[in-house]
Amino acid sequence: MLFAQLLANGVLLGGLYGLMALGMSLVWGVLNIVNLAHGALIMLGGYCVYFLFTGLGIDPFAALPIAMLVLFAVGYVLQRFVLNLVIRSALLNTLLITFGLEVVLTYCAQLAFSADFRTINPPYAGANIDLLGVTLPVVRLGAFATALVLAALMWMLLERTKLGRAIRATAQNLTAARLYGVDPVQLYAITFGLGAALAGAAGGLYGLVSQVTPYMGSALTAKSFVIAIMGGLENPFGIVLGGVVIGLAEALAAIYIGPTFTDAISFGLLVLILVARPARSLQVT
Amino acid sequence: MKLRPLLLVLAVVLLALLPVLGDEVTMQYGIDVLLFATIAQAWNILGGFTGYASFGNSAFYGLGTYGTAIAMTQWGQPFWLGLVFAAFLGVACALLIGVPILRLRGHYFAIATLGLSATLAAIIANLDIAGRNLGLVLPLTRNEPMFYEASLALLVAASLTVAWIARSRFGMGLLAIREDEDAAQVMGVSTTRYKVAALALSAFFTAIAGGIHAYWITFIDPGSAFDLTLNVRMVIMAMFGGPGTVLGPVVGAFILTVVYQLLASSISTAAALLFGLVIVVAVIFMPRGLWDLGQGIGRFGPRYLLQNIRMHRL
Repeated sequence: MLFAQLLANGVLLGGLYGLMALGMSLVWGVLNIVNLAHGALIMLGGYCVYFLFTGLGIDPFAALPIAMLVLFAVGYVLQRFVLNLVIRSALLNTLLITFGLEVVLTYCAQLAFSADFRTINPPYAGANIDLLGVTLPVVRLGAFATALVLAALMWMLLERTKLGRAIRATAQNLTAARLYGVDPVQLYAITFGLGAALAGAAGGLYGLVSQVTPYMGSALTAKSFVIAIMGGLENPFGIVLGGVVIGLAEALAAIYIGPTFTDAISFGLLVLILVARPARSLQVT
Repeated sequence: MKLRPLLLVLAVVLLALLPVLGDEVTMQYGIDVLLFATIAQAWNILGGFTGYASFGNSAFYGLGTYGTAIAMTQWGQPFWLGLVFAAFLGVACALLIGVPILRLRGHYFAIATLGLSATLAAIIANLDIAGRNLGLVLPLTRNEPMFYEASLALLVAASLTVAWIARSRFGMGLLAIREDEDAAQVMGVSTTRYKVAALALSAFFTAIAGGIHAYWITFIDPGSAFDLTLNVRMVIMAMFGGPGTVLGPVVGAFILTVVYQLLASSISTAAALLFGLVIVVAVIFMPRGLWDLGQGIGRFGPRYLLQNIRMHRL
């Protein structure tokens, strides 16, 4: 039964990891920016939901859309007025500037919200559902379901709407998309905003199952990285699956190999995949 | 341009004389600055010349600290043999992982190296000879001038190596890889061998710097030895100064380390915040680094800064 419980924990947390990676892979795939500030955006989402819940008494799940809107605005402004200025310079420069943004956001959060650990504790935080002897915390189940719903919405947006078609066209060929009337300045800002909105939702959910601190970002950025590559950059469901794989690997490694190895395991897996499946990683630069 | 080498020699002699003039605190700052400049310069060998951004250099640094510490505490060897062992570990690791990982390009290379530090830290934390999670305590030596001169010597050696690379056929090959790897291969550059050699050189200097730091600080543990933020800092210093140039990374490291120390001593939290802002502004206005900015006084001015934006914006 311990094994089944481990599997359940891994899958539930993994779905949330997948949601985190979703925003990063969207930005990466379309804008070719590896956004090192992604974790910081997740952190901002966490604070948003936290303050909506403690300050205004809004249920955390109901607060998610508001947090997503706020983060969309933050992401739109960042891309429109900062990242668009450097998007055509060397690859390392975009990496560097997002790192700088991560530092700025982290320490602004520390100044504004203090370094305290905060948890989002709705009345049902301790509730569980028992399923065939496996305990499923309601909050984690809700987070997992929300992650799936958002992934599905993302897929619909990309595949079924005009905006989604424009985003996919830009990812494939910027020049051609431009010829067909796509305005890249707006589209890039909207895409980054969408990525940030997904990060915001992930942050709120993460605050429910774990803690919100100003420094939570960098570890989550690294995780999102790994998952975005494993899942590929095109398919939202592939990314959620990648998240589940990492969640499972971590849960199993923590018990059977030792908790100090969890990070090493996910990166080990990543390098193995990169080296063993070279076709894609050799081509894309 | 006959003046430049003369000025450089003068600068090195002045720096070498610092222990005679300065007090202990100045010297400690000095060692810090010199070691940072060395690892930024070492990162430059691969990152600056080939454009392969390595986030695994902090792993070489960690191996260097542990190599020296193990040789000195567990095997009772002198400091210099510890440094030899440190260099050996760093270069061996670079050669071992270089071949599979350097086949990857762009983001993928950066990410594959990102895991190296964490993985090695996890392994070290489970090794008895490395003191597991507790770390190792090295013998205490209060000899600041010795550490200072050793760091300076290492920095000079690294910079001379880069100066040689910049003029050699080897360096041309590395630059060709940065500009267009496929074309370089067609022109007969053995790209894999060049890249692995550059990584090994980079690892050599980084590991020795780690070794000096270990003996100077006298206590090491897996967390501080394999610190990824150290790697980020070397990238920023090299990029800020001018990647792919001989003196850019050194100048960048000197300026940024001094600024950071000054800020940290006066307004602690805001120091990191300002550091981040400096990075953002620097990438926007001078994407090719300080060195490019300083190439001619005439180029400096609002026009140069705006031109950079015009070149790289959407």
